Amino acid sequence: MSELLELQRSMMQWLQSESGDIQDRVIGTEKVSSETRLAIYANAYRYRLIDALSDNYPSVHTLLGDEGFYNDGVEYIAAYPSHHFSIRYFGHHLETFLVDQHQDTAVLAEMARFEWALRDAFDAADSASLGLEALQTVAPEAWVELRFTLHPSVARLELEWNVPQLWAAIENETGQIPFEQAEYPVPWLIWRKQLKTYYRSLDVDEAWALDAVIQRQSFTEICAGVCEWVDEASAPERVAGFISTWLEADLITALEA
Amino acid sequence: MKLPPLGFGLGLRKEHYQAILDTSPAVDWFEVLSENYLVPGGKPLYFLDAINERYPMVMHGVSLAIGNTDPLDFNYLQQIKALSERINAHWISDHLCWSGLDGVNAHDLLPLPYTSEAVTHVATRIKQVQDVLERRLLIENVSSYVSYTQSEMTEWEFLSAVAEEADCLLLLDVNNIYVSSVNHEFDPLKYLDGVPKERVQQHHLAGHSDYGDYIIDTHDHDVVDSVWKLYAEAVKRFGQVSAMIERDDNIPDLAVLMQEYAQMKQISASVLSEAEQGVAHV
Repeated sequence: MSELLELQRSMMQWLQSESGDIQDRVIGTEKVSSETRLAIYANAYRYRLIDALSDNYPSVHTLLGDEGFYNDGVEYIAAYPSHHFSIRYFGHHLETFLVDQHQDTAVLAEMARFEWALRDAFDAADSASLGLEALQTVAPEAWVELRFTLHPSVARLELEWNVPQLWAAIENETGQIPFEQAEYPVPWLIWRKQLKTYYRSLDVDEAWALDAVIQRQSFTEICAGVCEWVDEASAPERVAGFISTWLEADLITALEA
Repeated sequence: MKLPPLGFGLGLRKEHYQAILDTSPAVDWFEVLSENYLVPGGKPLYFLDAINERYPMVMHGVSLAIGNTDPLDFNYLQQIKALSERINAHWISDHLCWSGLDGVNAHDLLPLPYTSEAVTHVATRIKQVQDVLERRLLIENVSSYVSYTQSEMTEWEFLSAVAEEADCLLLLDVNNIYVSSVNHEFDPLKYLDGVPKERVQQHHLAGHSDYGDYIIDTHDHDVVDSVWKLYAEAVKRFGQVSAMIERDDNIPDLAVLMQEYAQMKQISASVLSEAEQGVAHV
């Protein structure tokens, strides 16, 4: 093994577990000991990564408090060290980590899922959205097989807890509200319109229709599916209403007949 | 041998996006942090393109990890190349450091041992990077807090040897030289004297946190007097080199940063004018 590799192995062991023989490989001075010098790197490793987590998960941080977030951060770094060139993606596994770490407080993992989805929507790929007028170009006979392409920022979540309301209360500093678990999971939509990220809850049939769009189902197939909630005669009007709403919100980027 | 100088720049930070578009400050160019724009889309790329319509740009990365013993990340390099084409980057820089091992990224600029083995290792990799990017790379000296028992030469000898062997350019960070000179108790002027003038393409200036016996390179304060003085010494030695101010934390309003920008220009102009008069008197 080369001397360079040996040194790097020793330093990484120091950063990740503050152990090994790195002390023997660095030079201390009268003014600054080797322990102080190495501590600068160990602290920087920890704090830089925890800061990156906090940037991406400000509400998880608030819910856990500074000490709790720091302690979980240290364990997260050990469990899921960064493997990406960009620190932007370091927090990718936090939801999985929190599911295990806080089994009695499931709201934390759900908050992580919600905040990561917001983060992904923020810098998702750009794509020009169609306006409402796009529907005027669709020939009546083309509706049967019409399919839709959604903006790359669109994300669908099912949340059991009042996470978006908690997030808004923290974000707007209106005072923390109590955790509440819904009787059934609530469907949510996250997307970006131009440069701004939005989220809203969905009625169960709209959520089903949106999921069907994601699965590339046609207008006719979506109408058939929505009949579980509305009668057959009203289904086309109901689905057309969804599509108009989605077009107005910049959710749709292409129509394919 | 060097690229044409661009004048004086600032680090592009999201806190200033709107102010830049609203006020079009008199800045010659912006340095962008490459990784911030290696994303699929959204706000970062929108503002990058809008500001790039008005200003020349250079790219500064933190993820090249040129000193790693893991293989080079060619996927990353292709993304860097694509971004450089998107913004017509005048040059691309990264740090003379290592950052991780066995696929784990420490996201830090860790110092290398100053050995002939490391010179060869790093220079070989810089050549590979330059082949992929189809241009010469600028490598930057980092601030450091440890020196290794295995080092065989000074930091400036190491930096110069790497640059010569790889035939690359240098981004000489004046603040980093100052920080390391305090931390390792060397004379920063010897550093400046030991660097090949014909390779110095850019300077960085920045603030730091002084803990008395040592200094940490935090980029969260104004540039201190000692660093301005060292910058003047750099201008004496290297002449008209593109220089910019890096501010990464505790970021002030753009107008406040422009005062430091003016100070940087004034110091450079005054040193260059003195040098001209000196030549005229001879």
